[in-house]
Amino acid sequence: MKPPSLDEMIGQVQKLPAMPAVAVEVLQSMAGADIDIDTLARHITQDQVITARVLRVANSPFYGLQSRVGSIHDAIMVVGLSAIRSLVLAASVMSGLPAIRSPGFSQNRFWRHVLGTAVAAQALARPLKRAPEALFLAGLLHDIGRLAMLVLYPGDFATVLGIAAARDCRLEDAERSHFGYDHSEVGAALARRWDFPADIVDALAWHHRPAQGMPGGLAGIIHYADAIAHALDLDQDGEQPGQMPSLDQDAVSALGLDWDSLNAVLAETRARFDSYEPLLG
Amino acid sequence: MNTALMQPLEGTLPGAVLAAPVTDAAGTVLLPAGLSLTAAHLESLQRRGIGMLAISPPEDPEALARQHEKIRARVMYLFRHTADEAGSQALLHAVLAFRQASGK
Repeated sequence: MKPPSLDEMIGQVQKLPAMPAVAVEVLQSMAGADIDIDTLARHITQDQVITARVLRVANSPFYGLQSRVGSIHDAIMVVGLSAIRSLVLAASVMSGLPAIRSPGFSQNRFWRHVLGTAVAAQALARPLKRAPEALFLAGLLHDIGRLAMLVLYPGDFATVLGIAAARDCRLEDAERSHFGYDHSEVGAALARRWDFPADIVDALAWHHRPAQGMPGGLAGIIHYADAIAHALDLDQDGEQPGQMPSLDQDAVSALGLDWDSLNAVLAETRARFDSYEPLLG
Repeated sequence: MNTALMQPLEGTLPGAVLAAPVTDAAGTVLLPAGLSLTAAHLESLQRRGIGMLAISPPEDPEALARQHEKIRARVMYLFRHTADEAGSQALLHAVLAFRQASGK
């Protein structure tokens, strides 16, 4: 059977669930200058699944606390306000999309990779003097189109997985081979449906072809953060294959990272990923 | 299990391995556990006012060499289609050095 056209796929994307309410509230709180910890804690506590995931991080051995953290308010004190907002966003995106069972596709590995890309993008924010929150969000969502394709057309996606394995090629190349487009376009459509800002939509659309993204946008940074997450094997939940994406030399040069900055980014990415890992369950 | 040694930053030499992550006063993680410290790391920690470090006891050199080779093979496998591309060079070399130093 013929695979769906891009228009058909995007039409189906509109039927996926809306962005979870807690994530919307956290995003709004990021935009505001006033940060009220009590109000934020109250919003988060309304969602039990997200609350449980965030508390799991605060209670992990990584933070080495003597006593157990029982409330979101206390968790904010332990891991910090900025980290809590990132964690809530990650937890709400993870719990807001349907669970997937598909042969050859590891959902755990998918979430590990996007969380790894998000923390790498956040680590790049410091040397590049960019806002870490938008980069974290763009990293978290950069492959969301792939999940949508898998949920909406599991049979076609199984074919894509087969092509990638047989040709030892990147998944996005196999997507283009089968569908005629890849997850970038589908992800951008989903981000538009969720009313994300234009810079996030642009990052999702062009993270594999950053030269086509808007000048000074986030696509080039997510392009590199994606590669860092692959190179550090942050998606690994066992010994599995994997391969690096091809990096756009102009996009890499435009970041202007020297050896020390790149090393600091790698160290911060690894450390932050280890601290956020319990979120994945 | 080996016991970590708490020691002052002053006097810690490059090559010492962190037994626990280094955090600043706000709890932000600066360096992960398992990282083999370089001179640049030590200078950076000094600038940030870090006083004490948890350091792992030294490892068996042969076991370390085997671990480095395993990591090198894995990184080269990941870069099997892109190792020669200009855009990949800096990341390939930095990741190889970082992963061998951190053992991850």
